[in-house]
Amino acid sequence: MKSRPSIFLGIIAIPVSALVFLVPFAFIILTAFKNKQQATLLDFSWPDGFHLWNNIVEVVTTRNWMLLTAFINSTILTVASVTLPVIFAAMVGFVLARRKTRWNGLIEFLILAGLMIPPAVVPTIWLLQGIGLFGKLHGPVLIEVAYGLPFSIILYRAFIATIPRELDEAAIIDGARPFDVFFRIILPLLWPVTVTNIVVQSVGVFNDFTNPLYYLPGNANATVQLTLYNFQSQFNTSYNLLFTNILLITIPPLLVFLFFNRHIVAGMTAGAVKG
Amino acid sequence: MAGLELKSLRKSYGEVEVIKGVDLNVEHGEFVVFVGPSGCGKSTLLRMIAGLEEITGGDLFIGDKLCNDVEPRDRGIAMVFQSYALYPHMSVYDNVGFGLKLAGAPTDVRDRKVREAARILQMEHLLDRKPSQLSGGQRQRVAIGRAIVRQPEVFLFDEPLSNLDAALRVDMRMELSKLHHDTGATMIYVTHDRVEAMTTADKIVVLNAGVVQQVGSPIELYQRPANLFVAGFIGSPKMNFVELTVEKLGPDSVTVSGKDIGPTTVPADPTSLKPGDTVTPGIRPHDLTDQSSGNLVGEVSLVERLGNETNVSLRLPSGAARLAVLDGDHELRIGQSLPLAFAPDRAVIFNKSGIALHRK
Repeated sequence: MKSRPSIFLGIIAIPVSALVFLVPFAFIILTAFKNKQQATLLDFSWPDGFHLWNNIVEVVTTRNWMLLTAFINSTILTVASVTLPVIFAAMVGFVLARRKTRWNGLIEFLILAGLMIPPAVVPTIWLLQGIGLFGKLHGPVLIEVAYGLPFSIILYRAFIATIPRELDEAAIIDGARPFDVFFRIILPLLWPVTVTNIVVQSVGVFNDFTNPLYYLPGNANATVQLTLYNFQSQFNTSYNLLFTNILLITIPPLLVFLFFNRHIVAGMTAGAVKG
Repeated sequence: MAGLELKSLRKSYGEVEVIKGVDLNVEHGEFVVFVGPSGCGKSTLLRMIAGLEEITGGDLFIGDKLCNDVEPRDRGIAMVFQSYALYPHMSVYDNVGFGLKLAGAPTDVRDRKVREAARILQMEHLLDRKPSQLSGGQRQRVAIGRAIVRQPEVFLFDEPLSNLDAALRVDMRMELSKLHHDTGATMIYVTHDRVEAMTTADKIVVLNAGVVQQVGSPIELYQRPANLFVAGFIGSPKMNFVELTVEKLGPDSVTVSGKDIGPTTVPADPTSLKPGDTVTPGIRPHDLTDQSSGNLVGEVSLVERLGNETNVSLRLPSGAARLAVLDGDHELRIGQSLPLAFAPDRAVIFNKSGIALHRK
């Protein structure tokens, strides 16, 4: 039986969190249905007519179907900069957790340094230009990988330390080579951490505005977040189109979260090694 | 067909030497048990044979092949771990077949071998389950199945039964003996449980602090222990040790006496002794019998009546505590004095440095 204050707090918390999370979302949806004149008022009113379809068509076709290009770019960027850190961070975590050498201290320091040292934009652009990756999709992929690696490594290493070493040894006796041990035994057991990583990293990269802004100039390189600038300028902002655009680019992260949310919970319970 | 030969095998972690030169011969098809207290190096020795620990010095031969630097998968061994080490994300079928899959065995061969192993271990109905859906005993079966499916020359067991409850342990122990009988493979088994060692082994290797104390059949170790450590370790309850003084020496016997025991002549090798030396005779609790003529008299301090036998703790005149196991049921009072006798030819005399002086 729960105590009275905790029930009371729970009853308050539900409407408060609903207000915080649902009201902005409702505002986006409502505005996306309005026409330009009504949207400019920026108020919480019922739309005068059903303008959503017109808005969507206009958003998608603006500037020579830029949104489609942006979706393709963002997808490539997100998939690449989620897949690579997942595999590499798990590998690094595996080696760090399993093999004790005198270099471990230095490596751990470098990982922490990767988390702590703030990224500098100008030198990064200078470096990208030097290796010919400025304004190409590969550059930001590498940058997002570099930003994502340290945290993923720390997550993976901590989790791998809880997997009994005897599993590795049993596999080695069964004839597994190091890559077999990693890909067939360790990586599948890391699923809960991998899901967490995928969700956090993909939402972060997909919604990243500043990095593509700095490192991906040019219309052909636009990512979805940059398309928001199409409808917002100093003197003229089409709020109905802006919010339609926001609505469209919110859908993919939402799907990722809804799909993997189930797996986060399922993965946590399946990860039990001994019982 | 593979025996095993260990030639002055050594292992050190930095400065610390944990295996200090082990020499051992294992014939093909033998069931060898490594036994010793915690930290004596028995698991390390097994892992060196498996190839999971590097060998610092000496040679390891499996069959006729020098295996010091051979990968575990090429040594022809299979190992069962104490914690079973089943792959939690695979079904029982995949767990058992994992080694064959890695070796690239065709699907039909793999299927046949996995089902055959499941049949031998009576776990065909478990093949589709995940390890988390199995009980401890079933998991152990899967671990053993994973070993036998590889048809190794040598089976290695690292305390395989210590996570099971007592009743199941006895069952699995008998099944392992049966498996050894059926497969005829060489088996090396690590345990700290003396009863397990005595009941399953063809040959017991007693280890202490990285040194082999004695190698022999269970009964040999029980009746003719090489030193105080083996005498104290093998046999339950523990052997009684009494410090006595040498009175006189015969051609192949020694007469000893002391505060606790009147003059008694025990068969032993007297060559290294002289009258007046201190020696330690060891007497098994089961060799003590209550006789009014007995020359070992103690005061009863604890009685455990089990029906078929009675465990009696005694306090001797010197203050030392001893244990006797008497046949049948005895009604004894705490504090009463109890005279005990023993057959001198079943006692073992140890010299000052703990080495047994067996009659030649």
